[in-house]
Amino acid sequence: MSAVIAAAGLSKWYGNVLGLNDVTLEIEEGITGLLGPNGAGKSTFMKLITGQLKPNIGAVTVRGRRVWNNPGLFPAIGFCPEHDVFYEDMTGREFVSGLLRFYGYSKAEIRERTARALDLVELTADQDRLIRGYSRGMRQRVKFAQAVAHDPEIVILDEPLSGLDPLGKRKLIRLIKDFKSQGRTVLVSSHVLPEIEALTTRIVLIHQGKILAQGDISAIRKLIESHPHQISVRSSDPRGLAARFVGDPSIEKMTFEADGRTLVVETHDRDAFFGRLTGVVLQAGLAVDEISSPDDNLQAVFEYLVGK
Amino acid sequence: MTAVAAARQVFGLFANLGRKTGKTRVFAFLGLIPVALGVVARAVLHGRTGLMADVSTEILMVFFLQFYIVILSLFYGTSVSAEEIENRTLSYLITRPIPKGAIVLGKTAAYAALMFAMVGISLGVSYFIINAGRLGEGAIYVTFLRYLGVLALGILAYTAFFTFLGVFLKRAIIVGLIFGFGWENVIQYFPGSTQRFSVVHYLKSLLPFHPAPSGLASGGRGVALLLFRLEPTKPGLAILALVLITAAFLALAAWLFRIKEYLYEE
Repeated sequence: MSAVIAAAGLSKWYGNVLGLNDVTLEIEEGITGLLGPNGAGKSTFMKLITGQLKPNIGAVTVRGRRVWNNPGLFPAIGFCPEHDVFYEDMTGREFVSGLLRFYGYSKAEIRERTARALDLVELTADQDRLIRGYSRGMRQRVKFAQAVAHDPEIVILDEPLSGLDPLGKRKLIRLIKDFKSQGRTVLVSSHVLPEIEALTTRIVLIHQGKILAQGDISAIRKLIESHPHQISVRSSDPRGLAARFVGDPSIEKMTFEADGRTLVVETHDRDAFFGRLTGVVLQAGLAVDEISSPDDNLQAVFEYLVGK
Repeated sequence: MTAVAAARQVFGLFANLGRKTGKTRVFAFLGLIPVALGVVARAVLHGRTGLMADVSTEILMVFFLQFYIVILSLFYGTSVSAEEIENRTLSYLITRPIPKGAIVLGKTAAYAALMFAMVGISLGVSYFIINAGRLGEGAIYVTFLRYLGVLALGILAYTAFFTFLGVFLKRAIIVGLIFGFGWENVIQYFPGSTQRFSVVHYLKSLLPFHPAPSGLASGGRGVALLLFRLEPTKPGLAILALVLITAAFLALAAWLFRIKEYLYEE
């Protein structure tokens, strides 16, 4: 299969800060997940392949054509930026139709495409409200609508699921998967592994401007599982809770945070821990305020891959 | 899509959007100042016409020429690119199948049209309030159109320059303020060819003739000092100079916007 997007020896720096370092990568049809912590270079890469930035070294092409200052390429590309920014004084309908003006469509076609895109993201009922009055989820959806309203062959989505509630995420994931089934190319970035996992099995791991690994997500999963997961449990009696887990084979290490209410557990077997935790909490009648797994251990994998 | 067609689409988008912004409301409110001035002048004139009405009109023109169009052009011109970068909305525009230069040209044209509407309405209302007693005289309509034309040329020239500044510099407002209210106010009174390095020199060259300051004592037209020009350029040349200033700075702005990459501040 030929590459839709190709980067060869691509580097980009901002003054003394390296944004992207010697990236060579080919992205094929279907969904590809670009996974990396904040500041890894995901957005820089996406801006380079959408012609918003010019490479310092190397080249980036879409369908074999250079991107920088090549507007002829853009009917084929839809871009959904990461930032929660809009022309706030526009309504959702004005925003989508306003940006559709640039594709040479007739007024009737702009109207029809706008209606279709807003319907796709379930914003028809709110299309005449000002964007400044939209909820975070609605803003994410209208941002997605403007990216796909012109039926692009390639869709670039920078953190499209951030800020969405679980239901909103599920809907958007379904929409993105629909694009794949229509034979399009979708590149999605995220710093949350389960989000990418829900979308695709093909991922590219990026860290400190470098591509660390690419391929099937299952290999990455195995790497993650070989490292202990950190789980924080805030409860009324963290010491009592810890006492009940002493000797548990799934636990590697337990520590307490300075607030005196949070127990931090490191485990290789997250499922076993959660299974046991439910029983212990119920049995002891403990009040649990919060359970969190801050980075899903992605950081540990990156540190492992860069040899820290 | 051709550059002209693209610029037209950008114009449509931003003419519509520009109307609704808070900035437009503030500047439109500022346009009420000359209207209030007109009402006051009218009350003071008690229906008298002639010299006093002329003087009041000149005061109006000082406001429009040396303050209102400069401040409008400064804020709208520099915002053509700066607001897209500050608000991080530039990504929505530069990932479309249109030449980048068309974004600058279309948006500048939209903002210039918006400014012209604000200035035109404000000048029209205030001018005809002051000259309400002379509505039957054809000359006041000719003068009005002349003033309107001068202000339109001023808006275009200043906006083109400030658009270029906005594309070129990160903090263009400061430089623009120094240019608009420092350089322009001083250089125009320099003798010889130095005065020709100000936009306002060419604008004043197109205004109806006023006596030199020496006429202050006899004519009592103290305001003439503010609209006074040392050595006016011939009207044809002044128009040509203003058109060239506009075209040159717009072309520079469009070219620079095309080759420059913009980074959002994190």
